[in-house]
Amino acid sequence: MGFIATTVDIILNSLVLGGVLLIVSVGLNIIYGLNRVMNLAHGSLYALGAFAGYTIVAVGANYFIALLLAPIVVGVVGLVIERILIRPMRQRHMIYTLILTYGLMFVMDGLLKYFWGVETRFIHLPEFMRQTVSLGPVSYPVFRLVILIGIAAVVAALMLLLGRTRLGINMRAASDIPEMVSSCGINVRGVQISAFVLGCMLAGTAGVLAGPLFTVFPDMGHEMLISSFVVVVIGGLGSLRGAIVAALLVGFVQTLAEFFITDLAMVMVYMLMALILVFKPLGILGEGKFE
Amino acid sequence: MIKLENIDTYYGSSHVIQDLSLEVEAGAAVSILGRNGVGKTTTLRSIMGLTPPKDGRVLIGDEEVAGWAPHKIARLGVAYVPAERHIFPALSVEENLKLAEANAEREGAWTLERVYEYFPVLGERRRSGGTKLSGGEQQMLAIGRALMGNPSIMLLDEPSQGLSPILVAKVAQIVSELCKEYGITLLLVEQNFRIALAMAERHYLMGTKSKIQGEVSSQEIIDDQELIKRTLAI
Repeated sequence: MGFIATTVDIILNSLVLGGVLLIVSVGLNIIYGLNRVMNLAHGSLYALGAFAGYTIVAVGANYFIALLLAPIVVGVVGLVIERILIRPMRQRHMIYTLILTYGLMFVMDGLLKYFWGVETRFIHLPEFMRQTVSLGPVSYPVFRLVILIGIAAVVAALMLLLGRTRLGINMRAASDIPEMVSSCGINVRGVQISAFVLGCMLAGTAGVLAGPLFTVFPDMGHEMLISSFVVVVIGGLGSLRGAIVAALLVGFVQTLAEFFITDLAMVMVYMLMALILVFKPLGILGEGKFE
Repeated sequence: MIKLENIDTYYGSSHVIQDLSLEVEAGAAVSILGRNGVGKTTTLRSIMGLTPPKDGRVLIGDEEVAGWAPHKIARLGVAYVPAERHIFPALSVEENLKLAEANAEREGAWTLERVYEYFPVLGERRRSGGTKLSGGEQQMLAIGRALMGNPSIMLLDEPSQGLSPILVAKVAQIVSELCKEYGITLLLVEQNFRIALAMAERHYLMGTKSKIQGEVSSQEIIDDQELIKRTLAI
């Protein structure tokens, strides 16, 4: 491959990886921002999304149907988690939900293995997505481009939701001063629950999007959870703009490192995180809210 | 109408409000005067449901609201303007106002346009971030946001905090006029008796542990300048 071809390839792969990371970590961020719950089961919800997508396709539906349905499945599971596990802990210190969701992660991973087994699964894609397309000097898999477009659509929808809708306004307000939101006549608990479900749906969406890229297996959420923590730390907890910059940055660093020094790729990512923690503790844009 | 009957409110483990009773009749403007830390803010928070009283009754009109969620109390037509303003930093000026509009289920005429008529500066800066405004503008935004809920009762906590005397006078005048014009019941909490005089006609003098030391009219304060000093040591 020539230099230009390699460059285009690296850029596209970075965007795909960064995009998946972005959707997962924005979900984590929204859940934390509104509920002050650091959801350690987030990676497992991501895996659940991938498995739900796999199963929906396996029973005969189109991949795009799975892309719509799997997040809803994960959202319903998220609602059940909130109602049964998070609700009783709301008045307590964050450490309770931290440990609770840590346990939930193992329970969910166990259930994934129980229902789907430990072997790696492949989501069956429509014929056209299995082709490659020539982009100038590069021949690139169509499914990666479709996923890139899917990621862009999700991010655009999310920005519209947060920026333009009533729920988005309520969420942005309640992430800073929930008490004042309720004083304005809004059921702030409802806003918090919606944010929890939305965050879970984003994890699920990322899972179906990532399934064809990284394959589907029960522990797929672990690495993604750690990587999304890295994104959240670099971007600053609670900062959407920071998360976008950080996800792309991590995507690029990891992709570049994988290309040049494969074995040290994740090492580079963590060194980047360590540098940011030391020099920009509130995230790369300085917008983080640690409490 | 607001009526508190023997309420007890705790902030954490400290018993801030002890056996407090007071009443504000519909359409009246009443202040609670007292030093820092006597429980003035907690009184308003008890009414709003933000720190619900452990004991006693809170009446808003005919409803007994002690223990209700704050948003349900707000929907009865109670608006709260905290001393810190609590402007939402992630929202623009206009979004700060819109947020309060949506969930006002009562019939009423407050719209963005009308708030901008009263506070033109908010209209000019409608796209700015809420907390990018100056202190005085933020106070106006907090009041405008309260109006967007079409309140019949306004709870106003120390409007003078952090504002210059000229701005305070202006804010006091606007709020008083608004409340009179629209029949909004005003319960004001202040340390500064001049502002209380400018905005309210009747005053509760509150001492430590929320103990009501007296109830006086504006005229009585004007006639006896030492009254406030004697009772409250302000």
